[in-house]
Amino acid sequence: MPELRGSHGDSPTNVLTRWFGTPDLHTLDVYESKAGGYAALRKALLDMAPADITNEVKTSGLRGRGGAGFATGTKWSFINRDSPGPKYVVINADESEPGTSKDRYILENSPHMLVEGILIAAYAVGANQAWVYIRGEYDEPYRMLSAAIEEARAKGYVGPKPMGKDYPLDIRLYRGHGAYICGEETALLESLEGKRAQPRSRPPFPAVKGAWGRPTLLNNVETLVTVPWIINHGGAAYAKFGTDKSPGTRLMSVSGNVNKPGVYEVELGQTFRHVIMDLAGGIAGGHDLKVFWPGGSSAPVLPASMLDTKTDMESLAAARSMGGSGGVIVMDDQHCIVRAAYRLLKFYARESCGKCTPCRIGGDWAVRTYERILANEGSQVEIDTLLRVSDGLQNGRCLCGLGDSAGWVIDSTFRHFREEYEDHALRHECNVGKVATSA
Amino acid sequence: MTALSVHILDEIRELPGKYPQPRSAVMPALDLAQEELGHLTPEAMTEVAAALELDPGYVEGVATFYSLFHLEPIGKHHFYVCTNLSCALRGANEIIDHVKQEIGVKEPDEVSVDGMFSYEEVECLGACEFAPMMRFEHRYHYDLTPAKIDQLIAASKGEKLLPTRGEVARSAGGAAEKPKPKPRTARKKKADA
Ligand SMILES: Cc1cc2nc3c(=O)[nH]c(=O)nc-3n(C[C@H](O)[C@H](O)[C@H](O)COP(=O)(O)O)c2cc1C
Ligand code: SF4
Ligand code: FES
Repeated sequence: MPELRGSHGDSPTNVLTRWFGTPDLHTLDVYESKAGGYAALRKALLDMAPADITNEVKTSGLRGRGGAGFATGTKWSFINRDSPGPKYVVINADESEPGTSKDRYILENSPHMLVEGILIAAYAVGANQAWVYIRGEYDEPYRMLSAAIEEARAKGYVGPKPMGKDYPLDIRLYRGHGAYICGEETALLESLEGKRAQPRSRPPFPAVKGAWGRPTLLNNVETLVTVPWIINHGGAAYAKFGTDKSPGTRLMSVSGNVNKPGVYEVELGQTFRHVIMDLAGGIAGGHDLKVFWPGGSSAPVLPASMLDTKTDMESLAAARSMGGSGGVIVMDDQHCIVRAAYRLLKFYARESCGKCTPCRIGGDWAVRTYERILANEGSQVEIDTLLRVSDGLQNGRCLCGLGDSAGWVIDSTFRHFREEYEDHALRHECNVGKVATSA
Repeated sequence: MTALSVHILDEIRELPGKYPQPRSAVMPALDLAQEELGHLTPEAMTEVAAALELDPGYVEGVATFYSLFHLEPIGKHHFYVCTNLSCALRGANEIIDHVKQEIGVKEPDEVSVDGMFSYEEVECLGACEFAPMMRFEHRYHYDLTPAKIDQLIAASKGEKLLPTRGEVARSAGGAAEKPKPKPRTARKKKADA
């Protein structure tokens, strides 16, 4: 069993991770006998009409955990169940947002939970075929999910008559090949179709014209693994967790300079102080918190003074950031924000698919500007350039969210750490670097 | 002479039927080709294209887009070391330095003199709670330290049955064909015994 660093076991808010850590949970036998697995699938197929399932998910208030936070039940209802011809469910298991490891945590601990969630979703939206797009580097999760699907097939849960119901269901896997942009849903579809992964313009939306031109429901791994619980306990019970507009719990992968990095299940509305200082054990090495990324590297940063910001999407929006992918990257006061921003810009520049000019050119331009600043060749010109590039990347000037994200890194680090930028660019000194040698 | 063996080409021809549209087979087909050859040569891509009835330029366009396809030779053992933020905050750059030193290369994708090792810096691998981490031999390796890197290098060398090109050149008494960079890995010989 993989090492478990994060939530597991009995706790009132462990909706997803309650059974994690149970020996052999990844096998169908243990998932079913110990964790009550596949009861939700049985209930959905035998006792519920597809529209009831979607309604239950609507009642739960569950919002997508992939990044955008779109209402899941509403998304399901966009698929016209009665339209003729094939429809697909595509699962986004391409997890590659820096700082995010929650889908891997799920896949390695409880792959059957995903299989069950997928089968329920497919039945609800009228699809018979699901495709899991899993990132290519996830060797072990791929093996575990394949094995789980084969076990479910042997048991008949995947196949022509799952639970005896005359409704064929099948799940197939498709491996990614190392491109962050494949996490963007329309780029993912292009990739699944055997093309270079460049985002499509919308409309048409995937619900109308998705994989191979057919109506497609696209959901994140964590979104779908939440569904069995909702079916078992009811949407209303799920909605009791969290806040009004951001109900439930979500997995937050906490990484960086903390004592106990790990994937923690957090009831939405808890503060980041709770997540970072309690769950993740506080800042390592006796240092102080400087800044954190609350929802993956694409979420605008929040400085230590905003540690009491709450984790629900509305509180984060009010703080001018977002919940994103739930990846919390924590950086202590021994590290330089300009250097951190530079590292992330290199990421966005490298991963740009090249389809739109501001993103293709802007990313590289920002990287070169950061390099000049860090080589002590900066001036006000470089600061102005960064801010201009950042502006050019945002506000719908790019086709997909990658451009905005790159802009937000520049923008938010500058907004909260202007002085550090000016130290570097104007005075050619790093006041953090001076004390950073021991860290 | 073909680059890909007959049975791999046969397998590739079977792939399109497994997808709603045949084009989806291109990446699984390139996987098979890369698995057989270690990297994707132009001839291999042309043969994949012919087997899938696609334009060779199209196939190459797909192959160049994705970082897990290698268009140049890499070492038999390739280190994919994450250097994105969460790993960098916990020492990934020191790990990179150590890997470079131990396998005796200066640049990403440069192959060690014996053909055994190469490395690249990759973006977040989705295991940030185990930072610094890397992918090596189709597995993730966590909480990396220089000592762990040394162990993996030693273990990889223990597996090999034939002397490497570099070792042959050296034991022949002459200078290795490629004098630079110095094969630092030779230092670790004792681990082979
Ligand atoms: C650049 C970019 C990268 C993304 N990466 C991922 C990803 O790795 N995994 C994911 O589930 N969603 C990712 N998303 C969000 C997806 O586009 C999409 O909103 C999500 O998969 C929908 O599922 P959900 O409604 O269940 O969240 C990304 C979006 C963008 C713009
Ligand atoms: S914003 Fe960047 S990644 Fe997104 S479509 Fe445009 S070029 Fe591609
Ligand atoms: S940053 Fe290295 S695994 Fe995520």
